[in-house]
Amino acid sequence: MEKRLLIANRGEIAIRIIRTAKKLGFTCIVFQSDKDTDAYYLKFADEIITANDAHNETSIFLNIPKIIELAQEHQIGYIHPGYGFLSENPDFAQACIDHQMVFIGPSPELIRNMGLKTIAKEFAQKAGLPLIQGSEGVVNSIEQAQIIAEKIGYPILLKASAGGGGRGMRIVEKPEALERNFNSAQKEAITAFGNGDLFIEKYISQPKHIEFQILGDKYGNIIHLGERECSLQRKHQKMIEEAPSPALTPEKREKMGQLAVQFAKTIGYYSAGTIEFLLDGNGDYYFMEMNTRIQVEHPITELITGIDLIEWQLKIAMDEPLTIKQEDIKLNGWAIECRVNAEDAQNRFAPESGFIESVYFPTSDTIRIETGIEQGSVVNTNFDSMLAKIIVHDTDRALAIEKMLKALNYTQIIGIKTTIPFYKKVLQHNDFILGNYTTKWIEENYKPDILYDDEEEIIGALTASIVYALDYLKLASNTPSYTNDDLSIWVLNKRINK
Amino acid sequence: MATQYIYKRDATRLFIAISETGKKFNIYLPVESNPIINNVELPITIINGCISSYCFKWNNKRYTCIVKSKEQNKYTILVNGVEYKFSIESISSYLRRKLLSTEESAKIQNVLRAPIPGKVIDIYVSEGDLINANEPVINIESMKMQNEYALPVNGIVRKIYVQRGQSVMKDDVLIEIDSIDE
Repeated sequence: MEKRLLIANRGEIAIRIIRTAKKLGFTCIVFQSDKDTDAYYLKFADEIITANDAHNETSIFLNIPKIIELAQEHQIGYIHPGYGFLSENPDFAQACIDHQMVFIGPSPELIRNMGLKTIAKEFAQKAGLPLIQGSEGVVNSIEQAQIIAEKIGYPILLKASAGGGGRGMRIVEKPEALERNFNSAQKEAITAFGNGDLFIEKYISQPKHIEFQILGDKYGNIIHLGERECSLQRKHQKMIEEAPSPALTPEKREKMGQLAVQFAKTIGYYSAGTIEFLLDGNGDYYFMEMNTRIQVEHPITELITGIDLIEWQLKIAMDEPLTIKQEDIKLNGWAIECRVNAEDAQNRFAPESGFIESVYFPTSDTIRIETGIEQGSVVNTNFDSMLAKIIVHDTDRALAIEKMLKALNYTQIIGIKTTIPFYKKVLQHNDFILGNYTTKWIEENYKPDILYDDEEEIIGALTASIVYALDYLKLASNTPSYTNDDLSIWVLNKRINK
Repeated sequence: MATQYIYKRDATRLFIAISETGKKFNIYLPVESNPIINNVELPITIINGCISSYCFKWNNKRYTCIVKSKEQNKYTILVNGVEYKFSIESISSYLRRKLLSTEESAKIQNVLRAPIPGKVIDIYVSEGDLINANEPVINIESMKMQNEYALPVNGIVRKIYVQRGQSVMKDDVLIEIDSIDE
């Protein structure tokens, strides 16, 4: 029987999922959104469903009733949500099940529980994972917040229970600032999530973000596939990730991995998932949260373990048992990922939009490119700014950094500005080379002129002069303009000389 | 020496690029050598065949340049994805602008006077030529000794007051130049 898989997502992850799903014999179906009609991912699908979402406020990718309706109309048996959008929406997972479709991911109940951070923490405590000190559950009043803050000591962090992406989150340095921040965080949380519940925790300075990849089946078999370090973030958005983390010793890796598995077992988790830890300057680690989806940075784990995570997500959803044992997992070499975002790093990462005049990525056995764009793609602001991911693999960290720099140097995206020049600077920075970077690194080190380079400036001045000379010549002699083929300073100057 | 007489004294090949932060680059585009930037010949070569961009190689590094925008003489160039802005002037427009600004016009005139009495043996430059700072422009013989003289500034030769074979007195004006230095 035909296995019809709807990928309720777009961009590079849609293409990534299709690649593996086709190997497993799925017919792959995607939506064509009116907000992104000529998208690259459409070329990879077996079938395309027109979404007709031009007049809707949100795109098809967020519209549960419409997705379900169209899926039924097209005899969809399986739905993969990708990441973002509805991937961690328990109502969507439930709606799929209610309409006899297989949701590629864990149960709605698992998604719901892990989405509520207070519940996730209760489970973590039960499983014996270290937790950051804080309120036990939701803090209902400023008075209660004051008592808890005094107990654990400032600075503290106010966090929205339903939050994410930094919204509804406030660092409070001293008691006088508590009331004001409590009120504004609550207001922001209500606006963003329709839920103003806040909780409090001890604020950790110099934190590193370490996450463990988990795979579990429906029969209680759970393994971890090592960690990823995702500390290089800007406004809680990851930019560069690496696996393994330079901050973990083998002993700590084993211990944290065991705890991650223990946690997943405690909650009865199945599918691919990620357990996030915060590692502080003393090397102590704390459970943060669990993500119940495939993550953007999953390829670095795939490169160092040789395991296809999407394949296992699909197999597990089809009730297959996990045949890989923990002892089969060997971490091999080092992998780094850079997210190529359409953002202007010279202008505080303002989003860029426009037309991709040309795009070139280097390819090799150890450079993996996951792209959602091609020449002619239009980048608009309807969707997030990630265009592509460059992922490299090598035998050790220094070589992986070197390879990534090379890959970034060879990548050319003409038409819009991207974060690539910024990554080149980061990868050459001593803090990154030494692995000494925290989630605050960008905040502390970014300046709009961080990208400035003496030699580039000289080349820029040279180019401007050549262009000026060409323009001037055109005016003066009315000769036809030059093509780039005969762009030669020497030829040009002979002509100027006339 | 490569840089000694490198300008070949053609002022139409010199362009002055001023960056957004006020940095000045004297860019000389020669006929048959590498570009000379701020009096130094740099081993920058062109990579041909780049589409909609200007590609260069310098010290084994590749630079892809795209003209993001141009408005009159203001250019925004993306060099390997990083934006740099310049205003470009030819030497004549640069000097005209400097002369119009009373503040700066004082700095323009530079005169070479004969330091000792003697006879002009040779003049290496012509009016309109570009000269480099400290590059000999004239040879004067006095007391059976030939001496070369230079100006301490970069500029363009405005007027030559003497001829070959002519005798000069101490402090006679020999050559007048318009400085292109700040």
